[in-house]
Amino acid sequence: MTTQVSVERDVLQDNARDAQANRERFARAGIYVLNLMSGPGAGKTTLLERTVGALNPRMRLAVIAGDLETRRDADRIGRHGVPVVQINTGGACHIEAHQIAKAAGQFELSEFKLLIIENVGNLVCPAEFDLGEHDKAMMLSCTEGHDKPAKYPLMFREAQAMVLSKMDLLPHTNFDVDAAIADAKALNPGIEVIKVSAFTGEGLDAWFDWLDSRIKAAQR
Amino acid sequence: MHEVAVAQRMVEIALSAADENGGGRIVAARLLLGKLTCVDPETLDFAFGVATRGTLAEGCRLEIVRIPARLRCGSCRSEHERELLEPCPVCGAVGGEVLQGRELRLDAIDLEEAKTSASCVVQSEATGGGG
Repeated sequence: MTTQVSVERDVLQDNARDAQANRERFARAGIYVLNLMSGPGAGKTTLLERTVGALNPRMRLAVIAGDLETRRDADRIGRHGVPVVQINTGGACHIEAHQIAKAAGQFELSEFKLLIIENVGNLVCPAEFDLGEHDKAMMLSCTEGHDKPAKYPLMFREAQAMVLSKMDLLPHTNFDVDAAIADAKALNPGIEVIKVSAFTGEGLDAWFDWLDSRIKAAQR
Repeated sequence: MHEVAVAQRMVEIALSAADENGGGRIVAARLLLGKLTCVDPETLDFAFGVATRGTLAEGCRLEIVRIPARLRCGSCRSEHERELLEPCPVCGAVGGEVLQGRELRLDAIDLEEAKTSASCVVQSEATGGGG
């Protein structure tokens, strides 16, 4: 004999609760939080090095770097004089909200204007885990192929910005910029597209301006 | 491989739901899985089997009900089951508001009524003693 019991619970309800607690904590501290996501090797860490290098004197910022293993990303970013907490997921393919809560406990949040979370390099899993961030930005390098927005629609659908990276390499690839933008906009008409090369510095000002505008929007 | 994390949460939720309903072994679980979630059903089924080991849900059958994506067109507001990049069959616009397809929800579990057999034994003994 068996009896059926109705459960009706969202499997990720604990993460959603932790994300909401993070959101309230960030609002109280007056800090803007960006979740930066991409596949592995798109250039998140290099963009963050350029970002902290340029913004750090005028804007207090902090970074949480997520990786399967090692502190290499934290060490690279930390060299530019900003506080960085490394999360090692120990093989898990994404960061969860409770890990952000713990990492954020290592900063005095109210002393900072901007917190950037460098998610684990992965185009699939991080989309399912709300961290309590204000915005998500998706990075896509032109060496990865322009079909990524169509193949991984959820990530691009939920992002406020798509950062096309490694633009200095564009002439050496068959990456179709217009096609990538068309697919991203079809999924997400409001998505902002920013083309950068962290190597040459092309487009970095547009990226900084976008960050500034989002920080101001969050303060309103 | 976030299916492992998802499977672990499912087992936790199933075990606490069983506990709230008098306990007992969990023999089946039903999951509503939207087609827009980034969860692979086969990987999840395997991970669920591993996650239940050594618990009251060990050997539990997992029924995965796929929920198709349903969108409300951003242009003409008509509602259809379609993929994110599939154009609206009425006006041809792409995209829109997701009404359905993001589900990742443990809907129900089947509990074995552990106490039934035990109480039967007690009853039959009592009957035997009286006769």
